[in-house]
Amino acid sequence: MKLNERSLAFYATCDSPADNSGFLYKRGERHTAYHRRWFVLKGNMLFYFEERESREPVGVIVLEGCNVELCDSAEGFAFAIRFSGAKSRTYVLAAESQAAMESWVKSLSRASFDYMRLVVRELEKQLEEMRWGPAGGGGGSREPPGSWKPKQCPERLPALPAVLPKENGCAVWNNALGVGQPPDTSGCGGNDDEGTPRPPPLPPRRRVLNGEAAVESPSTFCQLHERYSREVARLRQDWLEKWRVPRP
Amino acid sequence: AVLKKRLVKLVVNFLFYFRTDEAEPIGALLLEHCRITKEEENVFSISFIEEPERKYCFECASEEQCQEWVEALKRASYEFLRRSLIFYRNEIQKMTGKDPLEQYGISEEARFQLGTHQQ
Repeated sequence: MKLNERSLAFYATCDSPADNSGFLYKRGERHTAYHRRWFVLKGNMLFYFEERESREPVGVIVLEGCNVELCDSAEGFAFAIRFSGAKSRTYVLAAESQAAMESWVKSLSRASFDYMRLVVRELEKQLEEMRWGPAGGGGGSREPPGSWKPKQCPERLPALPAVLPKENGCAVWNNALGVGQPPDTSGCGGNDDEGTPRPPPLPPRRRVLNGEAAVESPSTFCQLHERYSREVARLRQDWLEKWRVPRP
Repeated sequence: AVLKKRLVKLVVNFLFYFRTDEAEPIGALLLEHCRITKEEENVFSISFIEEPERKYCFECASEEQCQEWVEALKRASYEFLRRSLIFYRNEIQKMTGKDPLEQYGISEEARFQLGTHQQ
């Protein structure tokens, strides 16, 4: 199967921060000897290099639909990435210390896109509930923490945040969130059931100052962004004017 | 360039493509560090940051389908999802004063942190 390998290699070696990296021993496929490789975890991709300084990975493991488990003997700090399915293999890796093994098992088991998506949906749901009240009106049922059940994508999924990089996927990693960023796609018109646009909420800062409870009228992210950016523009204007006035 | 009919499937951050009568994909594109561009009518393209002049063009059956795909692909990367998570986390923290990831025991995970961090 063809893959855009150059893009994969770029992703592996570009300077976006890795979610984990370090030396691990990888058991060979045909021969059971272990080879020491430099591993880099980015997103749901586990890349491995011959050397730390290598310019290209020698391989990649896509961490979707897999289980990460300790090896039976747990000797030599070994753990396995196991895929289900007839033709799939199990990758056996070994760390150089107990701490390293635990850190890798933890980060690998949460690396999948699916896991990330579950967390995002859960937070979206929380945010919606905070804005529009729990579903069904009274004390909506909450999943106990840690029980991640897959959820259906809701019809009316609010637009994902307006914070976006200049190029899709090319993260401005030092992410100054929320304000002043151009909105992403235009398809984020959110209306309430009657179809009238919801008013934007007061920015949180003002709510705290006024001592009001954190209840805000419903809004879409586009409107939120609009509101914040106007406030930022206003604040900036004030700040600039302040500095023009000669100090006593 | 010749247009070939393909079955295209977006699965997590990969775009798989198949010959229409086959069960196994002939190829896949990893959708990280890429740019999705609406081209002329019914057409969009995918290009990658390390080779921006090379465009993978896709012609859709309708303008509506084209828009759907552009929207879906722009949100398809893991990095986009990560930024969404950080954004929501931040919003909820501002509103409630509490980190929503704490109750799931993942607030210290490197992948959810805001700002630059060393490897």
